[in-house]
Amino acid sequence: MTSPVLTARCVHKSYRLGKTEIPVLRGVDLEVQSGEIVALLGASGAGKSTLLHVLGLLDPPSEGEILYDGRSVHGLSIRERARLRHDHTGFVFQFYHLIPELTALQNVLLAGMMTDSVLRYWSRRQEAKKAATALLERVGLGDRLKHRPAELSGGERQRVAIARALLAEPRVILADEPTGNLDSNTAEGVIELMFELQRERDAAFVLVTHDEGLAVRANRIIRLRDGVVVG
Amino acid sequence: MYRFYLAIRYLVTRPINLLGMLGITLSVWALVVVVSLFSGFMVVIEEHVRETSADVAVTNLPLWADANKLGRALTDDPNVAATAPRLVHFGLLHEAGKRPPPPPLPGRSALHGGDQPFLFVYGVDPAQERQVSAFDAWLTSEEIPAAMRVADPSRPFATANDRAQVLVGLERMKREGLARGDELVLTTGIRRGGEGRGEFQQVAIELEIAGAFKTRHGGFDGNILFMGIGELGRRLAASDEPGPAEPSPTPGTGNEPAQGQQRVQEIAIRLHDPTAVDDTARRLQEAVFRTLQRRHYGYGLVETWRARNADFLGSIEHQRWLLKIVLFVILVIAAFLMLATLSMMVTEKTGDIGILTSMGGTPGGVTMTFLACGLTVTALGVALGIATGTVTSIYLEEIRQFLIWATGVDLFPLDVYNLDRVPCNIDGWWLLQVTGMAFGTGLLASALPAWRAARHDPLISLRGN
Ligand SMILES: Nc1ncnc2c1ncn2[C@@H]1O[C@H](COP(=O)(O)OP(=O)(O)OP(=O)(O)O)[C@@H](O)[C@H]1O
Ligand SMILES: [Mg+2]
Repeated sequence: MTSPVLTARCVHKSYRLGKTEIPVLRGVDLEVQSGEIVALLGASGAGKSTLLHVLGLLDPPSEGEILYDGRSVHGLSIRERARLRHDHTGFVFQFYHLIPELTALQNVLLAGMMTDSVLRYWSRRQEAKKAATALLERVGLGDRLKHRPAELSGGERQRVAIARALLAEPRVILADEPTGNLDSNTAEGVIELMFELQRERDAAFVLVTHDEGLAVRANRIIRLRDGVVVG
Repeated sequence: MYRFYLAIRYLVTRPINLLGMLGITLSVWALVVVVSLFSGFMVVIEEHVRETSADVAVTNLPLWADANKLGRALTDDPNVAATAPRLVHFGLLHEAGKRPPPPPLPGRSALHGGDQPFLFVYGVDPAQERQVSAFDAWLTSEEIPAAMRVADPSRPFATANDRAQVLVGLERMKREGLARGDELVLTTGIRRGGEGRGEFQQVAIELEIAGAFKTRHGGFDGNILFMGIGELGRRLAASDEPGPAEPSPTPGTGNEPAQGQQRVQEIAIRLHDPTAVDDTARRLQEAVFRTLQRRHYGYGLVETWRARNADFLGSIEHQRWLLKIVLFVILVIAAFLMLATLSMMVTEKTGDIGILTSMGGTPGGVTMTFLACGLTVTALGVALGIATGTVTSIYLEEIRQFLIWATGVDLFPLDVYNLDRVPCNIDGWWLLQVTGMAFGTGLLASALPAWRAARHDPLISLRGN
């Protein structure tokens, strides 16, 4: 059997506020297999976002380790970690985090520029544009390519964010309450789309949510309470 | 790639950054135009100063020096084209029986030596003087009106009476309402008596104006009076002599002043190759010391034209320095303007730092993004400033003409400097220095906001607003 795309081993994370240590994660073990949908549930403040950030290499764990495809990311340089973040994971956030100065197409394209030198990007700019356009068409925004985020609805913005997260063809999609800011109808559409894309690409999917109804549609539910996985 | 791409997008969506760019453009423009103009003036002034100074001069010759022997020693040098003896004295010019005019209040013309009654008297030999300077041209300048012209430029000091014939600078002639044939008195003095206990004795020399001379160096014209060297020597000798207030040479060297020999204080020298002036001056100094057989009391110093005018030229160079410093301060202020707009932008864009990091950006990349913003602004500002500055400098004269035509205001009164167009000297090295300075300050001004952006914790914005 192949190694899980994403593994957390005994991950601890605490924040230091002045002299006191605030433990947020206290020994989280987690394995996510390729093509699997994992729902991450837990009360507010349970540490869901923190875990997601640690899994996505945005925040180093205080203790324990993270493995991508069975290989530890421990000891990698800042650049190597950034590279891995780009190649291996795609993030979707509750608040979209699109760059307001860029159009929908440019926002998606930006994800393709992250690791390229100017020359290299220039030589493959046509392909990059084609791929980004195709992705935006796939998420149903073929007629919104030139719109700025301010000219898009919440649902449309989240679709742009999804297209952006998928451009580099990541093995894992890490989504932090992607529908938290949308009304239920729109949310349903966005979730449907994400599941479809996940199936198409056979990517793993870690979905943080408060919505039990949504969670049951996942392959697996993981509950966080007081920094540990329960049930 | 994303760094430059984002930097450009950030900039074009924020016209406020034009402000920083314009600030840099303006200061670079000023650095180029003002310094080019001033350098142009310096070139012209140097030219004018040079015109009135021989290439090299042997100065401060003692009374006992043998001018003929010195002259021969000098002309032995392969680079010496001609020599001319000079006698340099001083005095106050006034009408007979009247006091000299009072000294002027300190001011521009006083600094240029224009208005003061005090004068230097140059005793020259016209035949030899015209070999080392533009003496002939000074007497025949077209600007001299007929009533002030020397009757016979080849013999300017020829006289029919017993008055010493003198040449006065044209501007002074005009200012004091003098004309050829006017009679004046030069009051001066001479140290008399011997063996170190010299006593100062007043001497009055009766003069007649032979005509005006006109160089392009206003300070020279205002301060100098020309007289025949023999005449001046005689007038001073009549009340002086034999005067070894100056140290005698070592006895027995055969260096005693020959009887009846012309007094010479200075020997002006023209060179074949003026570019080799420094080397030649060094050789000539050796030759002078050999001929005088003694090195003492600073007698017989050989000075190049530049060394002779070092104080004057140095003061102008110093002014240029001050100007550069003041203009550089403007550049720094412009950089502050850019720093302010960039800082505003960074504060506004910290939200983007989180998502960039999640997509594979590094703190270094974030720094570069904002640094690229600052450098782009700087580069555009510098390019625009250098370009407009250079064009402005080249067309300064046309711009002046236009301003006169449009407003009647003359920004550069050229006749003060005896110029026919606004001078300008664009120095490639200076342009390079300006570019370097602008980029240096630009880099410093963008580094601060960029560094702040890199230190921003990307998770703060990702956790939501
Ligand atoms: N930088 C920080 N410094 C100190 N404490 C922090 C920091 N970041 C997060 N925390 C704390 O960690 C705990 C977990 O936060 P986290 O955002 O992971 O919760 P969450 O489960 O995502 O909650 P929510 O459902 O509200 O998003 C919270 O109590 C929070 O106060
Ligand atoms: Mg959260």
